[in-house]
Amino acid sequence: MTEMAHSVNIKINGVDRKLEIKDNELLLDVIRDKAGVKSVKAGCWRGECGLCTVLLDGKPVKSCFVLAIEADGREIVTAEGLAPEGQLSLLQKHFVEKAALQCGFCTPSFVLTAHYLLSMNPNPTEREIREYLSGHICRCGTYKQMIEAILECAKEQNQAKQVTGHKGKG
Amino acid sequence: MSFGSSYLTLPDFQYLKPKTLQDALQLLDEHKDEAKILSGGIGLLAFMKERLVDPHWVVDIKAIDELHTLRDEGAKGLTIGATSTMNQLLDFEPLKEKYKALRDCISLLSDPVLRNRSTLVGDICEALPYVDGPTPLLLFDAEIEAASVKGTRQVPMSEFIKGVAETALEPNEIVVAIHLKPPPEHSKSLFLKHTSSSEFSIVNVAALCANPTKPESRTVRLAYGAITPTPARVHEVEELFKRKTPVSQLIDEAVSVVRKSTEPMTDVLAKAEYRSHILEVLTIRALRRLLGR
Repeated sequence: MTEMAHSVNIKINGVDRKLEIKDNELLLDVIRDKAGVKSVKAGCWRGECGLCTVLLDGKPVKSCFVLAIEADGREIVTAEGLAPEGQLSLLQKHFVEKAALQCGFCTPSFVLTAHYLLSMNPNPTEREIREYLSGHICRCGTYKQMIEAILECAKEQNQAKQVTGHKGKG
Repeated sequence: MSFGSSYLTLPDFQYLKPKTLQDALQLLDEHKDEAKILSGGIGLLAFMKERLVDPHWVVDIKAIDELHTLRDEGAKGLTIGATSTMNQLLDFEPLKEKYKALRDCISLLSDPVLRNRSTLVGDICEALPYVDGPTPLLLFDAEIEAASVKGTRQVPMSEFIKGVAETALEPNEIVVAIHLKPPPEHSKSLFLKHTSSSEFSIVNVAALCANPTKPESRTVRLAYGAITPTPARVHEVEELFKRKTPVSQLIDEAVSVVRKSTEPMTDVLAKAEYRSHILEVLTIRALRRLLGR
């Protein structure tokens, strides 16, 4: 069969990208090799390790199990897109403060899924966090520190909300 | 990028994304086995990476509006469209009580990130012994709506899976939706499974019970999967529970019926003897929880 190339438009971290792809290319490989976004890691290609997670239209998906062509006209956010250039999101700051990493290879993927979890459930229990991150593997085993970072982040976000709430009422 | 292992890449194919069911059915009728359906892609892309499936055409059905159906029609039951994802089902209110065995089952499948893509229809179409979805569907007398260019037909869940990776679907047919019948009023249901270390089910059990303390109106349903190539309801057990005998004795009898009526298989995941034992344990556990013993 002839290999057909297509031009697709994918918004990656707020920037519209026009990319040439083939039908059988995985989103993972296109993001890394054609769009040059390297925080998205290739680990197992089998949907088990979670390292290739990206937010596709806001929801975490494992990009080794998505065709690049399926992302045409859609929006992708990776760890680079969680905060403006040179800055860290609140969750990223808490990951740094808790030293929630050793080698750091899996960190961007954990941050993305935890970011989504906090957006859906601003006050997760430790059990809910463990369950929600169960599709990710950290071979250094820094799960404990990551969970602490996520709990601390939730706490700070909720306190900030209460303060703004009071100001609003006053 | 390739390190030489096949599972890092996909074989060549042409991607098609029809906008109407009619267009999708035409494509399937034209290409038959040469075309494969893509929705969540978890099963399809895994098999393609391993070169176990090598279609010329991959037909993405996510742009077809009518396959996105997810609705509860009360007494008429529940309709789950082909593209409904596992996470959409977990958030769907009717599954929280009325169809709880199905929700229990989905909440134990893969992981929350994969469940943003994986679908229940994809799960049952895979038709491998270790997929869990069919077992709770048997409890709710589910029917599978299959469509082709010639029209639609309903296939009972109990007749949909024909063998290992084999379904009742013709090569030009597609599953449009799953229809579940409402369970008896005030019934409770649950789903239990035991998995291998690789997280594949080696035994799963789904059970339902209404009116546990009133033998004359009591309803018990029991289904199992992963122990034989095709999942099944155990109707003999269901008849038992209409008797007035004390419940603890009925549960003992139910276990012996299950033991006699099933012939667990031996495969790479577990031996028959081990499956038999686990099946008994899960049957007792499920029935005790529902019947309050």
